[in-house]
Amino acid sequence: MAKGKGSGSKGGRSAFSGLSVVASAVLLFMVALPTFITLTVGLLPSLVAFIFDRSPGRTMARCVFGLNFSGVAPYILEVWMQPAQTVGGATQAVFQPLALSIMYGAAGLGWLLYLAMPPIVANVLNLSAQRRVSELRKKQRGLIKTWGDSLIKEVDRSGN
Amino acid sequence: MAEQAEDQEQDVSNGAATEPVMDAPGGGAPAPEEPVETPDSDDVAVNAGGKSVEIGNFRVFLDLRMPEFDMGHCKAYSADNLRRDEGSAFALVTDPVLPTRHDHLTFLAGMHMAGQIDLLDYEIAYWPPIGRKTMVLFYEKPSGGKVIAKESKKLPIDEHDIATVVVEPLMNVMQAFSEKGLAHRNIRADNLFFADPMREKIVLGDCASGPPGYDQPPVYETTARMSAEPAGRGSGNVTDDFYALGMTLAELGIGRQPLKKLNDQEIMELKLSKGSFQAIASQEKLPLVLIEPVRGLLCDDPEERWGFSELNAWLDGRRTKPVQANTEKRAARSQNLAGRDYYTVRSLAQGISKNWVTALGPLRDGTVEIWLRRGLGDNERAKALSDAMRQLQWAGTDKRSAEDVLVARSILILDPSGPVRFKGFSAMIDGLGFMLSYDVQHGRGPQRFADVIVRDIPSFWFGRQEGYRPDVQKQQQLYKNLRYYIQQQSAGYGYERCLYATVRNQHCLSPMVEEEFVVDIADLLPALEKAAETASEESWPVDRHIAAFIATRLEDDVEGQLMAMQNPSDEVEYSRAIISMLAIVQWRHGPDNLQNLSHWVARLMEPAIKVFHSKARRERVETEIPKLAKRGNLVELYNLINDEQERRKDQSEFVEAVAEYSEAESEVFDLESSGPARMELAEKVGQQAAAFASTMIALLTVSALFLMHIF
Repeated sequence: MAKGKGSGSKGGRSAFSGLSVVASAVLLFMVALPTFITLTVGLLPSLVAFIFDRSPGRTMARCVFGLNFSGVAPYILEVWMQPAQTVGGATQAVFQPLALSIMYGAAGLGWLLYLAMPPIVANVLNLSAQRRVSELRKKQRGLIKTWGDSLIKEVDRSGN
Repeated sequence: MAEQAEDQEQDVSNGAATEPVMDAPGGGAPAPEEPVETPDSDDVAVNAGGKSVEIGNFRVFLDLRMPEFDMGHCKAYSADNLRRDEGSAFALVTDPVLPTRHDHLTFLAGMHMAGQIDLLDYEIAYWPPIGRKTMVLFYEKPSGGKVIAKESKKLPIDEHDIATVVVEPLMNVMQAFSEKGLAHRNIRADNLFFADPMREKIVLGDCASGPPGYDQPPVYETTARMSAEPAGRGSGNVTDDFYALGMTLAELGIGRQPLKKLNDQEIMELKLSKGSFQAIASQEKLPLVLIEPVRGLLCDDPEERWGFSELNAWLDGRRTKPVQANTEKRAARSQNLAGRDYYTVRSLAQGISKNWVTALGPLRDGTVEIWLRRGLGDNERAKALSDAMRQLQWAGTDKRSAEDVLVARSILILDPSGPVRFKGFSAMIDGLGFMLSYDVQHGRGPQRFADVIVRDIPSFWFGRQEGYRPDVQKQQQLYKNLRYYIQQQSAGYGYERCLYATVRNQHCLSPMVEEEFVVDIADLLPALEKAAETASEESWPVDRHIAAFIATRLEDDVEGQLMAMQNPSDEVEYSRAIISMLAIVQWRHGPDNLQNLSHWVARLMEPAIKVFHSKARRERVETEIPKLAKRGNLVELYNLINDEQERRKDQSEFVEAVAEYSEAESEVFDLESSGPARMELAEKVGQQAAAFASTMIALLTVSALFLMHIF
């Protein structure tokens, strides 16, 4: 019941979050349509990632979004810098091949970062474990050198 | 002395030389006439008087036998006292396979007692004719010679002088012995010597050279003790000496040994059927003057037998209470066993012991019980026999053994004062130790003794004794220990422990030191030092005999070491226990330098070094051992491996090291076996890190753009 309640509250928060995004989007659509168009087109990979990433914490989506947003941010600023924010101007700026390449390329980098980071961490952890094992083996060799085979026998005996 | 030696040489040439120089151990074949050349023959000097050997303060002439001073199984040799000019001595060489009597030697050595031959000294020495060490007793030579001469047929002492010449000195000796709680047990006419050339006083001969009563002719022993084997006749008490005195008087009165024409069995039967005195009186002609004391002294009931007061009264010419000739109750009808009729319980007991197998039938079918009830009217004995038979029915699977126990118990029911008899074994309760010693050293082995103890026959003997007797109580306490020892299998116990616990002068029978005739524990290590010269590398310097010998003779308690020796497979504890025992002996009795033994022990210390776990400590001990072995000090060697503080430190450090090693091993195991988990963790952490990095990049980008716009 508690679980149900918990998941209900989580679902509620998620729904609330989604609703707030939709509400923000609607508000943005109504107040700043050029910005909305730039964001919608630029953050399309993040949108797709958020839809398809069902993993807990949605780390992949967050990775893609972070770098995707970094790629979109300059164009948002460019839209905001124009004296008259028009849909045409925004559309023209967004649909430039270079702009699209930068925005979507940044999203791709985010995805690559997501793919590359776990093996790197794994290697770091493995190396650390190997170093520890080697340290422990050295310590054991030292003990055997001091105490001789009787140490092994005693360890075996107590182990049995 | 030279003159005496010459005289002796004359004696030898006149016939004594035809006798063996010295019986081989155990009374075997005569030794060669010429002394055997031995490794120790350097000690044997050849001088004008012939070959001689120096033993302590005496020079003993090997080729000057003195047959007239032979005492029992021991041979006498002429000896010269090197420290004293006056008086003359002779050496009595004991049989190395028969134990001497410690209490008697210590009591008599160096002491002058009227009526007893003076024991000047005694030594353990190498005796060339038998090629091994044995105990040699040095006695003052009685100047009057032996009382009973072999050739002479006339009475050596006038019957009217016997009281003053014989009885008075002998009473003095018996009094002195009984005050010490001892019995002479060697009183016989053959062992009497004239103390002076005038032949006015006699002295008693040796009593310490062999087991008590061993040399006594059976007729000199009470019916109880003559049923036992010679070596097992037991220490006895003063009443046994009185009995022997009675027979001595009879022999002196008759001029020859009473009942000599009869064999042992006939003497026994005659004594049992008629009583000792009647047995003598019916066969021999006793002088009138001796009838009264002989009757009193040969009384078969020890309670009724004459003692000091009666003898004193007789010496003073007063009349004494009459004694009953034969107290043995005779049955109205006989009990037949193996074709012979028996009328008294003791003769039947003797008959059963001689017909062990056939006796079982009449015992089991109740014939003997019925005979006791109806023929003898002895319901108490009949009931005891019936109880013994009832116990046979409760016997488990070992029926044969239970039947043997029944026979042994039946004998004790019929003759409670007699010896413990079990199959061929027959020894008085106070002669068990000497009997064991005899069996072990004469090839019979300890099995008979062990059988008796394991089947607890002596307990039944104690149970059959009536009234309180301090000597029986003492024996009972000793027996409890024997039973405990024989039940233990490990070194330091067993029959070996029984042997050394019961026979104080038993030399150590370990093959390593037996030739050295080690009686005193102080001589053990020097003997082992000698044995170490030829000892094999694998052998241990302490075997079962030496362990038992040390356990018995050493003043200190070595039970802890014996416990450790129970498990020879635990080499560390076993070797430590052995080294510890030897070190204690050296610490107590020396000598300070035992190089060969130390090297022997050092070779065997390898397992003991293992008490240290640390390699550094072991190496230190290993380098120290040869240095200490060179100094010949076992105590230092032992201390080296038994430094308690160092051992404790080593142990605690070892325990810590084991814990550390185990911890490391377990961590390594965890690290090596946690690959998949680590991969999972790496993926999770990597993804989170990527997300975090991405977010940070976004924030930095936005911040940078914002700042660029501003500036």
